[in-house]
Amino acid sequence: MEPRWDVVVVGGGHAGAEAALSSARLGKRTLLLTRDRATVGRMSCNPAIGGLAKGQVVREIDALGGAMALAADRTAIQFKVLNGSRGSAVRGPRCQSDKALYAAEVSRTLDATERVTVAEGTAAGFLVRSGRLAGLTLEDGSTVSCGAAVVTTGTFLRGLVHVGDSRRDAGRWNEAPALALSHALEGLGLRLGRMKTGTPPRVRAGTVDFAKMALAPGDERPVAFSFRSRGEDFPRQRQVDCWLTHTDEAVHDLIRESLPLSPLYSGRITGRGPRYCPSIEDKVVRFKDRPRHQIFVEPEGLTTDWLYLNGLSMSLPESIQEAIVRRIRGLERAEILRPAYAVEYDMVFPEQLDASLETRALKGLFLAGQINGTSGYEEAAGQGLVAGANAARSVDGKAPLRLGRHEAYIGVMLDDLVTLGLDEPYRLLTSRAEHRLLLGADSAYARLTGIALETGLVEERDAAPILEAEARVSRAGAALAAARVLPDRATKAQLEEHGVGLVEETTLAGLLRRPEIAFETIETLLEGRLDAESAEDVAMLSAEERERLVSDVRYQGFIAREKDAVARVARSFERTFPEGFVFAGLPGLSREAVERLERHRPRTLGQASRLPGVTPAAVTLLLARLVAAARGSGRGVAA
Amino acid sequence: MARLVADPDRGGDVVVAPATPPGASALAIVRLTGPSGETRKVARRIARQLPQNPRPREAVLHILVGEDGRPLDRALVLFFEAPHSATGEEVVEFFCHGSPAIVAGLLAAARAAGARPAVRGEFTRRALANGKVDLAEAEGIAALAAAESRGEARRALSLVDGVLSRRVCAVREAVLDALAALEAGLDFAEDVPAGDLAAAREALLAAAEESESLAAVAARGGERDRRKTAVILGKPNAGKSTLFNALVGRDRAIVTAVPGTTRDAIEETCALGDETVRLVDTAGLRATGDEVERIGVAVAERAGASADLVLYAIDTARGTSEEDREFLRKGRGAGILVVKTKGDLVGAQAASPAAAEASPPMELSVSALTGAGLEALRAEMALRLSPVEADGAFLVLERHRAALADGAARLREAADLAGAPGEPELVAARVREALTALSAITGETATEDLLDRIFSTFCIGK
Repeated sequence: MEPRWDVVVVGGGHAGAEAALSSARLGKRTLLLTRDRATVGRMSCNPAIGGLAKGQVVREIDALGGAMALAADRTAIQFKVLNGSRGSAVRGPRCQSDKALYAAEVSRTLDATERVTVAEGTAAGFLVRSGRLAGLTLEDGSTVSCGAAVVTTGTFLRGLVHVGDSRRDAGRWNEAPALALSHALEGLGLRLGRMKTGTPPRVRAGTVDFAKMALAPGDERPVAFSFRSRGEDFPRQRQVDCWLTHTDEAVHDLIRESLPLSPLYSGRITGRGPRYCPSIEDKVVRFKDRPRHQIFVEPEGLTTDWLYLNGLSMSLPESIQEAIVRRIRGLERAEILRPAYAVEYDMVFPEQLDASLETRALKGLFLAGQINGTSGYEEAAGQGLVAGANAARSVDGKAPLRLGRHEAYIGVMLDDLVTLGLDEPYRLLTSRAEHRLLLGADSAYARLTGIALETGLVEERDAAPILEAEARVSRAGAALAAARVLPDRATKAQLEEHGVGLVEETTLAGLLRRPEIAFETIETLLEGRLDAESAEDVAMLSAEERERLVSDVRYQGFIAREKDAVARVARSFERTFPEGFVFAGLPGLSREAVERLERHRPRTLGQASRLPGVTPAAVTLLLARLVAAARGSGRGVAA
Repeated sequence: MARLVADPDRGGDVVVAPATPPGASALAIVRLTGPSGETRKVARRIARQLPQNPRPREAVLHILVGEDGRPLDRALVLFFEAPHSATGEEVVEFFCHGSPAIVAGLLAAARAAGARPAVRGEFTRRALANGKVDLAEAEGIAALAAAESRGEARRALSLVDGVLSRRVCAVREAVLDALAALEAGLDFAEDVPAGDLAAAREALLAAAEESESLAAVAARGGERDRRKTAVILGKPNAGKSTLFNALVGRDRAIVTAVPGTTRDAIEETCALGDETVRLVDTAGLRATGDEVERIGVAVAERAGASADLVLYAIDTARGTSEEDREFLRKGRGAGILVVKTKGDLVGAQAASPAAAEASPPMELSVSALTGAGLEALRAEMALRLSPVEADGAFLVLERHRAALADGAARLREAADLAGAPGEPELVAARVREALTALSAITGETATEDLLDRIFSTFCIGK
């Protein structure tokens, strides 16, 4: 008898790895199916994890027990917080990782995890029993039976790699694409689309003149992604620098002359590319006035001489790539190890999914990562984690894990995907979150640890130190808010030493709210104002926790208002449509609105309101209908 | 209370309602609205000669038949094709003779043919749902239907025409532009040069000013709740209630020769030219041992204090007393008109200054009995109480004013934050709050209680 798995995950990239791990954390026997074990956890494009909005997602993954944060910390060779001078909500922690070490770390984590089995194989089709996924068929003709599956195919579905005129069937540079699964998905009635992404050239380190480039070092004090890194040697790897150089008009002229040779412009690539991570061809065409574009030169690892030219993705012919690269300062003699290329692939329009990432077409089938039209390792990993957890929960017949838009960037992303749909690769941005101030990287544990415990994604013994740290920060905050500071002579003199004036009575928290006052200044005022226990709480705060406390204090008023707004909107927008709610035939609903609503089948009024074509008036009407239904109306007119 | 949705299980139906008030009149209008095809099917059961595909917007005379199939009336029938109608759906209007019996017969016939009686506000709600009007415009329709003066109607119509909506949209666009610039600086810190906070600050301040000037329009009034108020004050038996009845045009207040008859404040509307004002009659001002009367006097004093105009009544025959002088001295100059009442008893007098005081209140003499001086009084009241109406003045309801003021306050806070060094994400947070406030005006954001309130002010069939 063939083995039966609870959950099968197809694909071993960032989405697949997190999916398998979260399924296993929930106690499910999980099979991760990859075409090539050596490629598990591979960073296909840039050698970095995190960034704006993405760094927040990495923290959220950590709070939900996922692997990405710790794997990044252990393999990172440079740390840098983007937007470091801005407020904590918009700071994006980011690191460069050694690619080989990162993939090895992910692979090791999978191997070390109980209940996860990694095996080689290529999924080709779905087995359906009584309307629910019952297993997968593989290309070699065998079958695997399972209770649920998560499909994470990345760029491999009918993948087509372009370099100039030449193109070949491939999911990555020299890896064969997955052909059969697209047909199987279409066979389920799912609508597929085509998208494009690109990656820049890699050059050999020994052939680059770093003296002609600007140094781009990391932060002096590296900040870890994972809470778990606090308990281990960090940073573990030698820290290195990156470099910065620029394109110039001569480079732009060359690119413009060569445009007819770019499959992006000759029409050979039909898939939509990302606006937010444009190719150099796009940048030159769309931003004609910019005299130069920056190119970050990033090492792909400690022991490799491959360098990643961040900002130079393109799909021009190899010979022209060489001419372009060599016209850039510092790269005059650079040897290209692998040319830039574009890849086109199939994706499934995500409005056909529920926010649990389960397809509506087939219960038990979940999709995560680029197959849902997203770009980015972090976006993929966040989806993988949720899809894996929900696949596990669906096997038990449990309601799916849902993350609200005010709870997590992952929640924002899932809601955007399944309600808005998309026509270009989706990337998370902080501006996509209407409650951005609530979603800082530093507050991920406060937001999600409770949910993680409830669902079983994190065990109590792992959560305990996190909860203790959170409690310490909030106790310290409360103590500072209660500690009075009077404008007496001694205090004034003390503050004047730090160049701070004091006119009215305030509290330590009140002082901390002023942007010109550093935490160190507050520390000089603690004596006699805090009881022993509170003083100890403050003294025990780590550097991260102090920053957390400062931003808590400074954001306080804003956060209170955002929470108010969440509650206000939630009342209306979290109303759910009953199962089988019929939109067609609602009095006064326009045909366009009905079509959209029937196609997307929003779960909540909030989702309905974000559908394009659903006017505010239609939302009003739907709300009225839900209110009436909830009030048990149906008694008719009561005028 | 009216529910917005009468019967959630019966979607997409044809509804019917009279569009004119109950009671006999020369003409009455009954309207049907609903899905295309269904609506005309109902209409063709009533106007049997109506073709399968009637020509839109063409008034044709038809015999209308009742549910028993017998002729009911001969009337004009007007057909509107979706979406080119008031509701955005297929609409049929019957212009019948204004007998309540005919209207009732038509409604019964429509119901028999499958139409459902419309609930309160349903026609407008459907227009809203079909994007024919936004929320502010829908409120304008309600205000237009409720207008009691030409001025009110004129301002309400401009709301229906979207004057406010367009100006609010322009503000929102400007704010959105500023926000987009801020957001780009936050989300693409590596690619986009740090957002120019000075430019954002300018844009936000300009938007705040425009919002404030729109909110200021609301203060100029026109809405029922903010009608200007004239309060009649004076000593007992000065003829206040007689004056009140004369201005209102009917015997609303009880008039006797006994001083202290009026004990409570009585309020009525009073037409003055294009405008309607509130007129309040009060208890006579005197020290009294009667507890009820004493409360009445206190009410009168409060009403006087909040009035836009005080009509201070003095019995011409008895002349101006020391208490009258005391009141007028303490009084508010331009806010007071002295009305010498019972002018018929001593013969008409021309207006004259009251006493040798600095800018004394104007004095008018009237006889409520003969009507002498009443027109002059009305003209003076109209002059003092009419809202100042700039060109293209339009209605701004209290709800709009509050949203505009809220939006403006948030924009100013955002501008302040943008002026200080540091945290653009806090600027953006405030700007988003401002947008939420402004969006509420046209209904881009709406809460349940808000909607309940808005829709419950509609009458059936509007």
